[in-house]
Amino acid sequence: MKNIKTDFNIKIALQSLLLISAVGLFASCKKESKQTLPERSYKLVWSDEFDGLEGTAPDDTNWTYDIGAGGWGNQELQYYSSSTDNVSHDGFGNLKITATNKGTGGAPFTSARIKTQGLFAKAYGRIEARLKTPSGPGIWPAFWMLGEDITTNPWPACGEIDIMELRGQEPYIINGTLHGPGYSGGNSVTKAYTLTDGRFDTDYHIYAVEWGVDYIDFFVDDYLYNRLTPADLAGDWVYNKPFFLIFNIAVGGTYVGFPTSGTSFPQSMVIDYVRVYDEQ
Amino acid sequence: MKKNINKQFILLLLLVFALGCKRELSDLEPATFPTTSAVFLDDFTGDLVYAAFGGSDVKAFQVVKEDTYGGSAAAMRFDVPDENSPKGAFAGGAFFSKTGRDLSGYNALTFYVRASQAVNIGVVGFGNDFGESKYVTSISGVPANTNWQKVIIPIPDASKLTSERGLFYISAGALNGRGYTIWVDELQFENLSNLSPITGLIAFGKDSVINGAENESTYSTGTFQASANLPSGINQVVNTTANFFTLTSSNASVASVSENGLITVLDSGKSVITAKLGENDAKGSITINGIGVGIKPATIAPLPTYDAANVISMYSNVYPNEPIDTWNTHWLYSTAENDFIKLAGTDDVIKYRNLNFVGIEFTSQPIDATEMTNFRMNIWTPDPTNLPNNFKVLLVDFGANGVYGGGDDASSELTFTSPLLVTNNWVTIDVPLSNFTTLTSRAHLAQLVLSGTLPTVFVDNVLFHKISTEPTVAAPTPSYNSADVLSILSDTYTNLAGTDFNPNWGQATVVSQKPIAGNNTLVYKGLNYQGTQFASAQNVSDKTFLHLDYYTTNSTSLKVYLISAGPKEVPFTLTVPSGTGWKSVDIPLTSFTPTVDLTKVIQMKFDGNGDIYLDNILFRK
Repeated sequence: MKNIKTDFNIKIALQSLLLISAVGLFASCKKESKQTLPERSYKLVWSDEFDGLEGTAPDDTNWTYDIGAGGWGNQELQYYSSSTDNVSHDGFGNLKITATNKGTGGAPFTSARIKTQGLFAKAYGRIEARLKTPSGPGIWPAFWMLGEDITTNPWPACGEIDIMELRGQEPYIINGTLHGPGYSGGNSVTKAYTLTDGRFDTDYHIYAVEWGVDYIDFFVDDYLYNRLTPADLAGDWVYNKPFFLIFNIAVGGTYVGFPTSGTSFPQSMVIDYVRVYDEQ
Repeated sequence: MKKNINKQFILLLLLVFALGCKRELSDLEPATFPTTSAVFLDDFTGDLVYAAFGGSDVKAFQVVKEDTYGGSAAAMRFDVPDENSPKGAFAGGAFFSKTGRDLSGYNALTFYVRASQAVNIGVVGFGNDFGESKYVTSISGVPANTNWQKVIIPIPDASKLTSERGLFYISAGALNGRGYTIWVDELQFENLSNLSPITGLIAFGKDSVINGAENESTYSTGTFQASANLPSGINQVVNTTANFFTLTSSNASVASVSENGLITVLDSGKSVITAKLGENDAKGSITINGIGVGIKPATIAPLPTYDAANVISMYSNVYPNEPIDTWNTHWLYSTAENDFIKLAGTDDVIKYRNLNFVGIEFTSQPIDATEMTNFRMNIWTPDPTNLPNNFKVLLVDFGANGVYGGGDDASSELTFTSPLLVTNNWVTIDVPLSNFTTLTSRAHLAQLVLSGTLPTVFVDNVLFHKISTEPTVAAPTPSYNSADVLSILSDTYTNLAGTDFNPNWGQATVVSQKPIAGNNTLVYKGLNYQGTQFASAQNVSDKTFLHLDYYTTNSTSLKVYLISAGPKEVPFTLTVPSGTGWKSVDIPLTSFTPTVDLTKVIQMKFDGNGDIYLDNILFRK
């Protein structure tokens, strides 16, 4: 686990990618290796490496909780708790968010939703996390952001950037999405990225957005699979203000459908790190 | 060798040039067997052979051109017969390659299936080659309905399947007594990118602990399974074989584990039994906490000596044993644990610990003990056996329907106590089945339940046997001077004429005379009482003894009466059962006097129970 925690120089990485791209022209085996990316360089401004002791709660200077049931606007079935049964460090450098089928508070499932609201928010830069998703019908993990002004400027006007969300019955497809005024819920602007040689729940992958004044680029493992600009939206571009970070696993709901008898529990999202960079 | 590598390297370069893709050296190893993925797409691929399973409808399978998946040219169709169909009991068979295939590049067998009605198909899998079937892997209860659905059977460890012959098998029986049709199409091995890595499971994926394990006790790792997460996000568990797994004991001096998962406790201490599936750890373990040598009998149980033709054995080393589903059903509230151990290295016995009660079931193949007369078992206990301690044996007959309940069950329980029970000694329980008074049928025996106050009981020689009530040899020939004898029934002397051996006195006894080893013998079956009427009053006052030979194996009470006119009668008690073979008695006639007038003896009478054989009934000097 340590070797992947060495400080990441995004500039070198991008240059390497360009080199690979050049090689790729000859090899022509991997279509993604043809990508040419704008050269950007970043410096780390905020991160949580989740190096806590096994069983400990996430750092309360970085994270706070959403707690309770009620569907969260999507008829979700879980009760979000702050229990370390649902969110804790695994002692191996990861944070585990765990959905269980041990119900509480009238809900049949428990899970966790942690956020940096009131503690950290950021406009622009590169926001990335390295994680392994859970899987199973009705399991809906997500790594996403909401506009910090949500308390005064209710959703969807505050804006939402979904860096990664996955339907557990398709553990090899993720979506990156923007929700905002005039393009939310079923009318959001979204694009899927499909793994053709593996699954998101069996290996770690790096999910990231690179966000500028007039663009948001979506990446999986440094492969750019979507770029959204104001011209792509049916409504206002509301991404010129700070957003806070959220990790959660929902169970059931309108996006993912309901768990079946084939869904195995518990299901965990294992997050190696989350890092936020500023463009230099 | 070096040259070889160079050649391969050149070949590699050529390939890279030709395909424009990087390839590994290992890709160029020549494959011994074809790596063909298709089993049945629009027709059978390669040298496939189909063989129906024994007992199935051999004509259940055919290739059809209609109702195919996605309009493909052909599909496989299986017509499941009705229950009790004369054609066969089910549809099933295996498709195997005569030469074998290298399947190491695939991770699943996949196919599309539909059925004429919603059913769960009994079992579907691969690896059944009608031979060793080393790598049989299957899923059970595969749901199918009238829509085509894809079924994925993950391969536990494809690297083992370099010459696999069993490519597909299926078995399905009637639903609610009626048959239906199954279609299978696009049957092939695939390397699915969206299938998760597979995890092996032993002990059902649980970490179990066995405390108090004694030396020589054996345990099982349980079914070998593997689980992979399908592209749909659900886990698919396959049942497979030990041949995919490598089992390890963390402390081989405490417990050994065989290749097929039999754990044998060797010493005190702790050993954890784990498994690997390929390179990866399997889920589940069995921790043995050994306590060393436990209490056990110093000697083997007394060996039964019955003729094998007269025995139905459940557990013994002497006779072939009937299949028993389980020696411990682990019913709710039962605390019993059992170990199978060997005594003196030869005698298999079952040790029950913490026995409050234990269910033993043989429902799959009920025992018909109608022809048997006795139930026998040996038990040994280190526990106190003084009263009121007891050991109970319950036999349960499931009746004609062969299942528990349904109004046709019968059961009966016997309780055994001291002095039969003895501590630290082998005890032979051998009781007539008729003692199980409420066991009204024993044609479908399916359960044996042991209970009582003895927490530790070793059990051996559990069997039913038939004690023939009939002697095999003739009664001894008397050698008295015929001048001194008044014979009633004998082949040796001239018998008194006109004797009625079966006067109607309202008795239930069934009377007959039959030759035993060529010697005519009087037989009382099911004696309650039985008279013998002389043609006229006999004066036996010049005689000294009433002599008779008798034989009985099952009587617990037998008296003979001499009766003179009046009637005046006096009984004489005979010792029963008669022991080994015939018993001859000479009863002094003074036993009957003075009540009986020896000058006017008119009748004789027996009362008691059981089956009695009589011969050489005579008065002698």
